[in-house]
Amino acid sequence: MIPRIIKDLFKIKKLDISLGIFLGLMLLSLLGSIIYPVDPTSVVGPPERPPSSAYPLGTDNRGRDVLAQLIGGIKNSLYIGVIAALISLGIGVIIGAISGYKGGLTDSSLMLMTDVVLVLPSILIMMLIAAYLKERNPIFVSIIIGVTSWPWVARAVRAQMMSLKAREFVYMSRIAGLRDIKIIIEDLLPNMASYIFMAFVLLMSGAMIAEAGLSMIGLGVTKGISLGIILYWAQLFESVRRGLWWWFVPPGACLVALASSLLLMSTALDEYFSPRLKGG
Amino acid sequence: MPILETKGVKAYYSTPLGYIRAVDGIDLTLEKGVILGLAGESGCGKSTLVNTLMMNVRPPLRFIEGTIILDGKEISSMDRSMLKKNVWGVLVSLVPQSALNALMPTQRITDLVKDVVMHHMNVSEQEVVSMAKKRFEELNLEVDTLYRYPHELSGGMKQRVVIAISTLLNPKLLIVDEPTSALDVSTQKQVLKMLVDLKRAKIIESMIFVTHDIAVLRQIANWITIMYAGKIVESGLADDMLNHPKHPYTFSLVNAVVTPEPEVRNRGLASLPGEPPNLLDPPKGCRFNPRCPNAMEICRAKEPHLEEKSNRLVACHLVFP
Amino acid sequence: MNPFIRFITRRLAFLLMTFFAFLLIIFALPRAIPGNPLASLLYQIIQQAQSNPDLVKAVYKKLLEEFGMDKPVHIQLIEFLGRLGGGDLGTSIAFYPRKVADLVFSYLPWSLGLLIPATLTSWVLGNLLGALAAYKRKTLTDNFLLTAFLTLSQTPYYWLAMILLYAFAVSFKFFPLNGAYSPGKTPTLSIPFILDMLHHYVLPFFSIIIGAMGGWAIGMRVMVIYELGSDYVSYVDSLGLPDRKILQYVFKNSMLPQITGLAINLGTILGGALITELVFSYPGTGFLIFRALSTLDYPLIQGTFVLIISTLLLANFIVDLIYAFIDPRIKTGYVGE
Repeated sequence: MIPRIIKDLFKIKKLDISLGIFLGLMLLSLLGSIIYPVDPTSVVGPPERPPSSAYPLGTDNRGRDVLAQLIGGIKNSLYIGVIAALISLGIGVIIGAISGYKGGLTDSSLMLMTDVVLVLPSILIMMLIAAYLKERNPIFVSIIIGVTSWPWVARAVRAQMMSLKAREFVYMSRIAGLRDIKIIIEDLLPNMASYIFMAFVLLMSGAMIAEAGLSMIGLGVTKGISLGIILYWAQLFESVRRGLWWWFVPPGACLVALASSLLLMSTALDEYFSPRLKGG
Repeated sequence: MPILETKGVKAYYSTPLGYIRAVDGIDLTLEKGVILGLAGESGCGKSTLVNTLMMNVRPPLRFIEGTIILDGKEISSMDRSMLKKNVWGVLVSLVPQSALNALMPTQRITDLVKDVVMHHMNVSEQEVVSMAKKRFEELNLEVDTLYRYPHELSGGMKQRVVIAISTLLNPKLLIVDEPTSALDVSTQKQVLKMLVDLKRAKIIESMIFVTHDIAVLRQIANWITIMYAGKIVESGLADDMLNHPKHPYTFSLVNAVVTPEPEVRNRGLASLPGEPPNLLDPPKGCRFNPRCPNAMEICRAKEPHLEEKSNRLVACHLVFP
Repeated sequence: MNPFIRFITRRLAFLLMTFFAFLLIIFALPRAIPGNPLASLLYQIIQQAQSNPDLVKAVYKKLLEEFGMDKPVHIQLIEFLGRLGGGDLGTSIAFYPRKVADLVFSYLPWSLGLLIPATLTSWVLGNLLGALAAYKRKTLTDNFLLTAFLTLSQTPYYWLAMILLYAFAVSFKFFPLNGAYSPGKTPTLSIPFILDMLHHYVLPFFSIIIGAMGGWAIGMRVMVIYELGSDYVSYVDSLGLPDRKILQYVFKNSMLPQITGLAINLGTILGGALITELVFSYPGTGFLIFRALSTLDYPLIQGTFVLIISTLLLANFIVDLIYAFIDPRIKTGYVGE
């Protein structure tokens, strides 16, 4: 059955294109440092050189290699995206699942909390937390993004949970004497797998954009590199006004490509799994 | 002349993975004044069929081929705007399966009534309202209901209001899609009575009644058609069919009615193992053969066609070897 | 009780609670984060005491007073809330001795002037294009528009701003490189100044419009498709109502969430277009917040954020009021999700 679904999914053009772009950039970041072993943080040549055969994407204001920075930047942006998405997903699924399954007072208090976080703009909270942290490594940044981005996941999981709960097999599991947690983990969550995967993809693209935003206002990672950090440097040293396009165009383009391929992926999956096409 | 006559009607859902053959070669004749009960388990295509019968075909559903003649007019060759102007709501009306959500939440019942009537007839608002009031009285609905919002009505009330709106313009044919499935027993009775009243009062002439509940058909239908996996498998006079089913599928459907628990009965087939077939890739030969207790070699190889014998149509190699 | 009043009271209670939760976050963060960021900021200020001892001493004293770090926590909290209750948002460090509220209001007009027209324009364009895509769904037009919207919605405004700036101010020198008006001029209501201002206005304006349009369009497209697929649409369709009439129904129902979105978006306008203003060195509140964040001017950060959240919650409340008037379900006390 599983190979059949995978074969079917490959027939969807939108999915193929978006997966291709995403995996291509991911491979570039993973294998890039082997094929192109240049240190992104050390000075390798004269400053502000346009692209040439020696420096495929030119150099920055201090003579560091932009392609090497890009390779390292994509890797770290993806890393922050994945960790932040996992954190949001973890919080969102746990709160949503408990809320939807338990109902009653537990549900109302958890949802009240969710609504409060939902109303507050997450970027403000992110900036507040980040501003008070002196050192920000990628894990910190991921946590900051993760703990502020979960509310919509919790709401959506709760809604799904409530509709699944009403189905027969949960009733049967209850009759069979299974404990609540066991039912949630063994019966309900697997049924939502496709949905949770879509949420993950969306959270990841959101987290990568948020990382870049934090970096641009000087609140990104303090050590190491990311797509946002490259843009931050490029902005700080006036790359635009001085016409150094090779410095700010590639990181932004990679960010847009990664984030929109993820969004396109989730749209394609949504169309595939959408119940409106089934039944009859 | 029959009110409705179809030949070789096919309507498929177009998906990225290919066609789902929900309605696959339907020949159907409905005489004037008949209440036709259309039955089959969920996913057999009965809902799709009734929508196709009035050419209410919207993507992803596609009309593939066939002819549909309604009241002497070939509607299968009409375009959408023509259908909307001269057919839907006037000649044929639908009471949709989801009648409970069929009313727009931000609109009073009167507003919908006005829009519907004034589109088809050249009358003033006052005339529409007095017309609607008269009809609501005739059908034992409180006139006051007209001025309410949908969420202020109970489930049974919404269902009856939808039926009243669908029949405002006295359509010759009324199609009712699973009207009773979401309602409790006493409300079901009210709705069924209302449908019978409509016909008795000559507001409508004929009716197609879709259900998965054979027990309901006993009360209302005089002709029954059974559908399986996009095809008609058996068709005949109601009492005769229910007492002497010929197709093995009809047989198991009718027997399921005997099962006492309503939950099991509601799901249609209790005694029949297996699931309805995947219509992206239907079984070869007779579509019922993987689940048929009497399947023979020929059933897997050759597709049976509907054949007639003493006022009964059956598509089965067992009956017509 | 009247269902309308009950609904409004409940929403008001919720928003006040949210506001209080936010104040608690603002209060707790500098005190809870290990390494005591405030203490280290104070230490830095003392370090600079040589350069301008009097000013630094004044700043130091003011900071100690506003954050009250030497007192017990509950007293600090009461004082913090008391000052806010009295309308005091604090005093800036970087712009000492200017008050936070005063600073915000002097930067605000530029942000409002930029963001209100840009937001409204992108909202209108986005909704029109989104509705068009939904109406033509499953066609080439939709596929093209959808891909464009998806990409645009994932394109940070500021990167778009950098590209536009590079293309139209650096490569082709059509527009100025930065600022809201030419350096050396003083804002007046004269024709030459207004023309100069408009000249500076074009690029930031368009970068926000293009950047925001994708999101609105996707939202509208999803809503219209959702409504078009709803049961009431298929019902009135089967009754023969003309498509024009059905589209009217659908738009009426799809616009509500979009209006909500617009109101809430306008609620955050006080924060300016943060990074876009930075890229263009446009002197709005976004630029001010950037200055506050990069100099770790904690009172200024706190004060501006409290203001932004207040207007945002106010916008939320206005939306609730509008809903209560429009949606018949609230007026008649119908409860349910």
